Order: sequence, then structure tokens, then C-alpha cells
Amino acid sequence: MASVALVTDSTADIPRELRDRLGISMVPLKVMFGSETYLDNIELQPDEFYQKLTRSQALPTTSQPSPADFYDVFKKLTDEGRSVVSVHLSGAFSGTYQSAVIAKSMFEDGADITVIDSCSASYGYGHIVVAAAELAARGAAAEEVVAEVHRLRRAMRLYVLVDTLEYLQKGGRIGKAAALVGSLLNIKPILTIDDGGVITSVDKVRGQKRAMARIAELLEANLGSRPINLMIALTPGFDETAKELSALLKQRFDVRSYLETAIGPVVGTHAGPGTVGVFVTPA
Amino acid sequence: MSRRSLNGKEWTAMVLAGAARLSANESRINALNVFPVPDGDTGTNMNLTMTAGVAELNHKPSDEVGRAAEALSKGLLMGARGNSGVILSQLFRGFARAAQGEREMNATQFANALQQGVDTAYKAVVKPVEGTILTVAREAARQAATSARRTADLTEFMREVLAKASETLNRTPEMLPVLKQVGVVDSGGQGLVCLYEGFLAYLTGMPAVDTAGETMFAAAAAPAPQASRAVPAPKPSAGSAAQAKLETESIDFPYDMEFFIQRAPASAPFPEKSFRQALERDGDSIILIEDGDIVKVHVHSRRPGDVLNYALAHGELTHLHILNMREQHRELLRPAAAAAPGTAAPQDGTAAAPVAPKPPEGAEALGLEAASGIPAGEYELAGVTASPESEPNPDAHEMAAYGVVAVSVGEGNAELFRSLGVDVVLSGGQSMNPSTEDLLGAIHSLSAQSVLVLPNNPNILLAAKQAAELADRPVTVLPTRTIPQGMAAMLAFQEEDSESANVERMTKAFERVLTGSVTQAVRDTQMDGLDIRAGQYIGILDKTIVAAADSAEEAGFRLLERMLSGGGEIVTILTGEGAAEEQAERLEAWLGERYPDAEVETHEGGQPLYPFLFAVEP
Repeated sequence: MASVALVTDSTADIPRELRDRLGISMVPLKVMFGSETYLDNIELQPDEFYQKLTRSQALPTTSQPSPADFYDVFKKLTDEGRSVVSVHLSGAFSGTYQSAVIAKSMFEDGADITVIDSCSASYGYGHIVVAAAELAARGAAAEEVVAEVHRLRRAMRLYVLVDTLEYLQKGGRIGKAAALVGSLLNIKPILTIDDGGVITSVDKVRGQKRAMARIAELLEANLGSRPINLMIALTPGFDETAKELSALLKQRFDVRSYLETAIGPVVGTHAGPGTVGVFVTPA
Repeated sequence: MSRRSLNGKEWTAMVLAGAARLSANESRINALNVFPVPDGDTGTNMNLTMTAGVAELNHKPSDEVGRAAEALSKGLLMGARGNSGVILSQLFRGFARAAQGEREMNATQFANALQQGVDTAYKAVVKPVEGTILTVAREAARQAATSARRTADLTEFMREVLAKASETLNRTPEMLPVLKQVGVVDSGGQGLVCLYEGFLAYLTGMPAVDTAGETMFAAAAAPAPQASRAVPAPKPSAGSAAQAKLETESIDFPYDMEFFIQRAPASAPFPEKSFRQALERDGDSIILIEDGDIVKVHVHSRRPGDVLNYALAHGELTHLHILNMREQHRELLRPAAAAAPGTAAPQDGTAAAPVAPKPPEGAEALGLEAASGIPAGEYELAGVTASPESEPNPDAHEMAAYGVVAVSVGEGNAELFRSLGVDVVLSGGQSMNPSTEDLLGAIHSLSAQSVLVLPNNPNILLAAKQAAELADRPVTVLPTRTIPQGMAAMLAFQEEDSESANVERMTKAFERVLTGSVTQAVRDTQMDGLDIRAGQYIGILDKTIVAAADSAEEAGFRLLERMLSGGGEIVTILTGEGAAEEQAERLEAWLGERYPDAEVETHEGGQPLYPFLFAVEP
């Protein structure tokens, strides 16, 4: 067993078998449809969620894990004598990071726990957690793992296409893209999450096809012809754009590794059906 | 009757007669449109421009020709609308410059003034086209020089000038093929001839207008109608949503300077351009206004000593006001911070430092009265120390980076522009072009450091550029020619980007858009190889008529076919007055069938005269 244990939350959208294989601990957020509460990505899986979402009159709400939820996980891992590196959803979107920080403060000074705000969402940091877990599995020390998390966050290029800004706006997560709301023309904003973990618009174009072409252009401008690792997060049942986009990018780039994952219920609540996340790191 | 000179009162009466004549012929001039569509209301534009000039002339009557001409020039400059209106304002701007300081004017002086007007106008127009008002003015001025040598009698002089102007007007179809094709003379040139006819009528003692002359006269003397259309006065910036929050150290150019350079009489012309460049090296918010011997200077600078040294080279400095805006800003933050220890500085902008004395709107914005008025800087300072908690003034440094002004027509189109982030949408397009003053008012109403203007019509471009020159802050005019182009430009706008990046991206975006319009022909004509009957619907792509049909829908089909012949992913349909909902639906259905890959979007634009505007983006 590696001496460093990775902890994350359910919004990292890491596929379950990958999580299990790498021994990543996941603390779920919660989704509430009216009075029914579900543990994100555990009691409610993505495909089920989007069906429910389209049938539901009112939008679901979400809530962060309690510090106690994190405390239990941290306690178990530190009792095994391991160092903990806990990486979470951007603090600008959720109090999840805050809960983890409080959980850490409940420990004596001796516990080796590092809590990191990823300033990102979905597989934009899910990938970072996976890479960090792989490094830890090869025997890296906690400092090395933490350094790798920060390095990868800087290297990560991420673009998000939403079908409509409505969900981001209603959930209050729209950040600097707020200026685009209310446009009468069918505008497709190309969003990203900036270094401060806030959503911001990179460009806006009309039409889905143009949006995809523009993302390819932006990636080319950023990375040139370097080989890449490509990860795409999609919403099951509304994945046409994601399929087209991944086909386009595979055509244009030397893709060394490809991973497709589902955007989970909590992220889906705030981004809406039809959202596509494109995550790229230089290979 | 023989008259050898005109004093200010007589000159004014002559101009009023010209204005009345122009006004009486407004619709006749409008009818001379060179295009078989109601494209540009030259008569209306020239008349409204002249009316604004005359209003100013009546407002400041003078016995001296020089002063009267100056008043007219100022009024025209502010009221200028449409290309012909702007050119008219330039003609009299040059005229006024030549007449400066003169009590009376004889034929030689008159001829000189006409020539200077022509020189000024040619300089102002980027690409002068022959066969237009410019040619008529030029030939008339040339004749004036010859006539003034031959006769000192002003009536005789004016008769010859008018004869030459009319003759040149009649030759305009030979010079400009589009006029010949349609069989008309140039409308702007006709407007100028009307003005000269009025001049001659006054000199000969005839009524300027055959019938209802008195009414026309009264109309011309009435206050400018555009005053009521003026944009609201600048609002305090506290109400502005896009306000930037200011750190004291972020004031890059901390010294707010205002002063006058008193130029020695008969000194060399003031080198405005190089002086401006010198100030730009370490400053911004530069305003230079030349008025006779006085140059008013306003600048925010890093190096106030350098500014004063540059200025000293051009004359004596008076009414000096220099403020350190950082100091002011710190002063203002202090009481707020002290009141709530441990809290951050207020974020709502109430602690903002008032900076530059803001030139008021309208005529005074030119600063022509500033020399005798209260130095603005003084009460600005008093306001700061006396009531630091009072409403903040618009402050260049806590303004939004950009404001956007667009000209559009139709309520739906205006809504679309607003939804795309345009701050002020001025109404205007094919007819009723906004004047320079309207545009200037819109620019100054914004709490923004720099302003982008989308004219969305070639007829508004010159007025927009003129407004840009007169504005108290940097203004960039993007030469959008159509409403769809303007929308495409707006779509490419990114608030947080640099101005140059924005201008580049927006220009690229609007140049890619194809604009098509469907309208009704107003007369029988032959154009672009098509026989067109009055009342038929025509489809225009860019400037070429590509379809003529008996229904707007049919013209729309054929036009869209042409527009999509090279491909196109996004088609936008803006429906105007006279377009039935079912027609738009049928167009959409037809597009869906013929071009399944295209994404089609229809909006109610509400523009008059054009049942359909189309935009195709590749």
C-alpha cells in the first residue's frame, strides 16, 4: 500500500473502476430532488440523474459533505499511518473544500494531511487526482504528490460547452460569464475555469459546429502540434456534441490517451444537460 | 442693386434665405436618391444639419461676419448628419476659418472663404468621390475666385457662382456612373445649389421661397429638432453596473492638468498633432480644443513638468489647474477606512475620486466658452474637500473599460443589440440619421474610458468619425455597414480584452458576414442587368441587386440562394415591417429543406422599409 493516500469528492467525476483500482477515496456531495436526498455518484448515477432531471419540475439542489464526512475518511487513512492528499472542487463553486479544511483542523498537529483547492471542476481535476494517485502508487512522497497536483493544474487546458447558460446562472455558478446571459441570439459561449477557480468565457460563437471548431483552434494555438492526453466529460443521453467533438479533436491532434467520463449529478445540476467538458494535457 | 460687402447681420440673413430654400426643397432632394430604394435621405439630412447651424446662428447673432460664420460652423458641426450633412459642415467650417476676425466680407473674401471650405471638406472625406456635392462646391469656389477678380458686385458674383454650381450639378451624371444609370443628378450637389439659390435670392431682394416662404423661414429659425432626441446626460457612475473598482496605485497617469495656452497673435498655426503625440507619451484623456488664440488643454499625465514645458513653447499658460488624483483618492478612502477599522475599502465606488472636470454636453463640450468661464478645476476641488461623501462624479479611472454605441433601426434590432452588450442604441438608419451631436451625446453619456461605435450604415460613418474626433475620450469607429455586420462585431466583443485585440477580432468577424436585404423598388429602373418595376421586391446582396420578384418572400428565396451559393453555416433572418409571420416561417422551412446543415435563426427586427434582412456567416 502506498504511503500517500488520495482523497477527493464526487464532483471529480472519476469513473468508479479507476477510482477503485487506484484506491482513491471519494467523499460524495448530495443531490436533493424535493425531499429526496441522494449521495452523488453513489446512490444516484449519471444516466439515472439526467432522466430524472428532464422529468422533474423543479431543479434539484446540491449540498457539500460535512466536515464529519471528511473526518471519518481522514481518520481511517491516518490511522493506517498514511499521508493524505485531499484535492477538491473549486472553492468558488462549493464549500466542499472548506469542509475538508475544517476536518483537517480537527486532527492533532501530527497528522499529515494536505487539503488542496483544485480551482477546477469535474475531470478537470479528476484527471489530476488520478495522475497523483498513480505517482503515489509508484512510491512518491507526499511533497512530490502535492507538487505534481499543482504542476498538472497549470498544465491543464479545459474548455466547457454548455447547451444553455441557464443552469449555471440559476445555480449561481456563472462567474464572469454572467455578461453573456440574456443574449437573444443563439450564442454558444466557450467557457473555462480560470486560475481562481471561477467560470469565465474565452470566446463566444454562434452555432454548435463553430463552437467545436473554435475549441480545436484554441487548443492548437495553445499546444501547437504536441501530442496530447484527451479527456472528455459528457452528459449521458445528451452526448451528440461530445461524440462529434472527440472525433474532431482525434482527427486534428496526436491523441496519446483518451478517456470518456460522465458528468455526475452534482456537476450536472449546475451545468445542465448537454454540457461537454474538454480536458487536455500535453502528453 | 449693387452690394459690395456684407456685414454680420446681412450675411446671416443671406444664410437664412439659403436654409429656407434648402428646407423648401427637402423632399425634392430626397427624391433624387441614386438607388431605386429609399437609400439615405440626403434632403432631410442636409436640412436638419442646416437647421442646427441656423439655430446656433440665431442664438448668437453678431454684426461681424467672422463671428456669425463661426456660430453657424459650430451649429453645423454639432448637427451634422448623413454624409452630405457632414460635408456641408466642413464646407462652412473652412468658410468660418477664412472669415475669422472679419467684420464685413467682400467678393474676394467670399471667394477665399468658399475655397477654404472646399479644402477643408476634401481633407475631411477619406475617399472623395467626384460627381458629388464636393465637385459642385469645388467648381463653384473656382468660379468665385475668377468672378471676384472681375466684379466687386456681390449680386453679380453670386449669380456667376450659382450658374457654375448648377452647370456642374448637371454634369454630375457624367462623372458618377450610378447617377447616369438612374438618370438623376447628385442629391447632395442639388442641396448645395439650393443653398446658393437662397443666397442669390437674398442678394437680389427676391423671396428665397416662392410660396410659404415665411413659414419655411420660421421653421429654419426654430430650435434644432434633434435637441429633443439627445441622449440623457451622463449619469453618476455609481449606477453603472460595469464599474471597475479602483486601487489608488492603479491610477497610471496621476496628474490631472487643465490649462489654456494663450497664443501670440499671428503666430504659426498650432501643431495640434505633434503636440498631442508629445502628451500621449506619458498621458491619456487628452483633449485639445483650439479656439482662436486660445488652446484649451486637458490631460492626465505622469510627467506634469514635461507637459508644461511642451506647452510653454507655444505661448503663455493661463488658468492652470493641476491635481494629483492619487492624493485625492487616498484622501477619500481615509475617512471611510477610519470609520470601519479592519474592513476593506468600500467596493461600491462611493469613495471614488472625482477627476477631470467634465466638459458639459452640447455646444459647451467644445470648450469654446471656457476661456471666460469659471475654471472648472476649482469647484471640482471644493467639491472634494467639502463633501467627500457626496455622489461621485464620473471618474475616468473607475469607469468601465469600454462602452459601446450602436446605431440601429427597429425595436427588435435594438433589443438584439442591447442583449449583445451594446450600452446605447441610437435610432437611425436609412432615414433620420443621427447627427454628430447625437452620437457625441451617446458617447459622453457612458461611464466608460473608451468607446466603440458601430454605425451599421455607410451614411452614418462620417458623422460617427466626426463625433469620435470631438469626443473627450478615445473613440474607435468600426466601419460596419449593416445591422447584421454590427451584430457579428458585437458577438466577437470581449470586455476583458485589450482594445486592439477587440478591434481586430470584431473587424474580422463583421467582414465575414454576408448581408442581404429585401425591399421594395420605388421606381422603374434597370440595374445590375435586371429590369425592375416600381413596387416590385428586390433582393440586394451587399450593394448589388441580385433578385427582383413580385413578393418579398420570392425575392427572399432567390436572394438567400445567392447568399448560400458559397456555403454558410449560420443564417439569421431579421423580419421588418411588412413581413408576415408565415412568410418568415416559409423561408425557414425552405432553408431547412434546401440547406439542412445551416443553423437558422429568426428574430423580429422591426426595421421599416426592409421586410427581411438576412445575415449569412460562413
